[in-house]
Amino acid sequence: MNGATAIKTAGAAPVRGSPETSAILCQGLSKTYGKIQALAELELSVPYGSVFGFLGRNGAGKTTTMRLLAGLAHPSAGHAWVGGWETTGVNRLARTRFGYLPQDPAFYSWMSAREYLDYIGRIQGLSGMERKRQIGEMLELSDLQEASRRRIGGYSGGMVQRLGIAQALMGHPPVLLLDEPTSSLDPAGRHEVLEMISKIRGNATVFFSSHILNDIERVCDTVAVLHKGRLILVSGREELLEKYAVNAAELELSAAGQGSAGDPLATFLDALKQRAWVANIKREGSVLRIMAHNVPLAKKELLPMIVEHGLEVDRYEWVRPSLEDIFLQLSSEE
Amino acid sequence: MAAWIYGLSILLMILLPVFLAAGLRRIAQPAWILFGVGCLTFTLSQVVHLPLNNWLATIGLLPGKVYSGQPLWQTALIVGLTAGLCEELLRAAGYAVIQKIKPGWTRLTDAVMLGLGHGGIESMVVGGVLTAATVSALLPLVGIDLNTLGLKPDQIVALRLQLETLTGIPLLGALPLLERIIAISAHLIFSLMVWKAISGRGSLHWLYLPLAILYHAAVDFAAVYGMHYLADKPLLIEIIFLGIMIPGYLWAFLQIRGYAKADGAPSRVPNSSIRSELAIFAAAVMKEIRQQWKTRRALVLGAVFLFFGMGSPLLSKLTPELLRSIQGGDLIAKLMPQPGAADAMNQYIKNLYQFGFLLAILLGMGAVVGEKETRVAPMILSKPMPRWAFIAGKFAAQGLMYLGAFILAGIGAYYYTWILFRPLEPGNFILMNALLLMWTLPFVALSLLGSVLGKTTAGAGGIAVGLCIGLTLAGSIPQYGALLPGGLLGWAAQAGQAAAGIQPAAVNLASASIAQMPVNSGALASAVVMIVLSLVLSIGFFEQQEL
Repeated sequence: MNGATAIKTAGAAPVRGSPETSAILCQGLSKTYGKIQALAELELSVPYGSVFGFLGRNGAGKTTTMRLLAGLAHPSAGHAWVGGWETTGVNRLARTRFGYLPQDPAFYSWMSAREYLDYIGRIQGLSGMERKRQIGEMLELSDLQEASRRRIGGYSGGMVQRLGIAQALMGHPPVLLLDEPTSSLDPAGRHEVLEMISKIRGNATVFFSSHILNDIERVCDTVAVLHKGRLILVSGREELLEKYAVNAAELELSAAGQGSAGDPLATFLDALKQRAWVANIKREGSVLRIMAHNVPLAKKELLPMIVEHGLEVDRYEWVRPSLEDIFLQLSSEE
Repeated sequence: MAAWIYGLSILLMILLPVFLAAGLRRIAQPAWILFGVGCLTFTLSQVVHLPLNNWLATIGLLPGKVYSGQPLWQTALIVGLTAGLCEELLRAAGYAVIQKIKPGWTRLTDAVMLGLGHGGIESMVVGGVLTAATVSALLPLVGIDLNTLGLKPDQIVALRLQLETLTGIPLLGALPLLERIIAISAHLIFSLMVWKAISGRGSLHWLYLPLAILYHAAVDFAAVYGMHYLADKPLLIEIIFLGIMIPGYLWAFLQIRGYAKADGAPSRVPNSSIRSELAIFAAAVMKEIRQQWKTRRALVLGAVFLFFGMGSPLLSKLTPELLRSIQGGDLIAKLMPQPGAADAMNQYIKNLYQFGFLLAILLGMGAVVGEKETRVAPMILSKPMPRWAFIAGKFAAQGLMYLGAFILAGIGAYYYTWILFRPLEPGNFILMNALLLMWTLPFVALSLLGSVLGKTTAGAGGIAVGLCIGLTLAGSIPQYGALLPGGLLGWAAQAGQAAAGIQPAAVNLASASIAQMPVNSGALASAVVMIVLSLVLSIGFFEQQEL
């Protein structure tokens, strides 16, 4: 597991980590616009190699954080380091340590993808040979070889986003800052971009902000939740899901088995209520949700009981909460 | 040889402060805008200082246009004190404002940057522009019998002294530069003193402000005495000037050493090589040129300039014909003199003056704000692209585009003038075009500044129009107006006439205004100053903007 190993509220105290050992380190990073506090004393350490999901509702401060990390906005207080270099200072070399993809990437529409990547390579100070090699590599990764000589102005949203990730990867920076890379895409475009991020895993630390929880759940190994400019949670994805796991089994009963002679469902429900491990039973149409005090015992006894009562089952599963459930719970608690 | 040394000195007096500021940036990264604040404090101090000295002259405390018996010590003391009071109090006000807006900008290196801006603009204007104007006013007098100019004996003596310096040992051409280097260093010391007064610790730190005023006054006091008694020994004046500054240098050295040892001093951060930054600048210029070409802007500019280049001689030739074709126009046509190459040149300058100005605004106003509006700028500037290269690349590409446009216009005008009238003298024709290009470039730079300041393209256009009209109107200021870039048009017109074979009318060199002089290098120097200042301010403001 690459990410943080414990669930913690990171805003409470300075995080452990140093600019040298963290891919991203924020210390007291704050940003105010007039009287509005967009980001409040962010304390965050992102380990190298992780795919870090930065979660929050619209207006939570995700893009502000990204712009501060990328050196495009000036912090009201605090500092940030990316790849070991302070990006809240003015040293331009710090910008060689990350690739940045803004929420709505924009390009010179008169350029082709190849020309644009070449320009970025020149800015990165890559030699002619290295530029050529990396352009080929990036075009292949982004699946834009065929369109590489076409004007970017004619690209689809997905192609633009993939080119955005490709340009962020030019120069092989150790950290990628991706701000809502999938939010404006159709399902196919989202799939393409998430696939691309999966391919990057292991080659760079990815700091990925989004309000689309399925995307975060799919690709990120560590999750942070930002709410109203404050960091309310940092955790490994699995630990988070386990912590918030609901001890419930869901049964979807076949319509054919219901209402038959002797009503096996009614006797099944009566039998369940007799068991000590059953905490609660909810029925919604053909779906039963059975909450358990003792999950291992429930797992052992539930299936034999179904068979014993002659019920036909379309679906049987132990329910895991989605990240969305957890996120909504956390942000409503705050 | 002396003219070349003067030319190089003038160029360095304009560029050296910027080079020093760029060097300081590489060591400690103070904001470029502090250089602009320094320029502003000097300019505002002169807004108070010059009228104050004029008023003191009208009440008889200082010599006016005519010397009226004031003792030298009194003149030196008052001149020194007014300079010290105006400049150091404005500098202190500048610091106070900065502390309010940016409380973090209180490092010693910030004070040095402010001092470079303050001394830098003085070097550019008092050193660069005025030296250039003086040289171009004196050059036509070389070899002329000064007694024939109708001047008073004391004026002739002073003029002869200046001409001897100009035509004497060539290296004396570097003296104005030496003087400005010492003056800049003096401003750095005064700046550090005022910085100590404003941001220093302890109950008596404010004493540095009166100390700075008195030190400044002492330096100017000595300068007045030096110019009075040692006017024929300019090198000795500079040596004395340097000697007076030695205690200041020692004090500044101790301050810098103490600051470097203090915990609060920023450590020197690793920096990119100049070579790599220049390579990025070159890439930015190439990208801009390709953008101008692919978006057809270069084509439009070239076509417009070629049209006016070819059209100007044609219009001059055909104007009488056109008038004859109008009913009753025959009489007017008969009154008109026979058109010639000189008319073609006048028409050429008028056309490029009007349309060059407009195109500079139209093509420049969206250069930066357009990329901010389309959100391309954050993509590029999140890479290791220095903001100076982003801005300077745009200016350089536009400059090259205008150079190409003037070449096209020139070829068109030269060819049609040759066919319709007579061949032009190439040297003066090229000089005329070069001067027109130099007149255009400050407007290009101001439009770029407008584009940095504007939040929308329309807003940027409005700011650019305001700045460009302001510069044009400033050309009407009596005495000083001809020293602004607009003065280049008069020089270009004279070169155009010479190219057409018309000898310039004889000018009374003793009484002629700058605009009537055959060479107006003061205007050329001020055009360079305008370009440099506009670019520094553009970079300074752009650096502070969030994207």
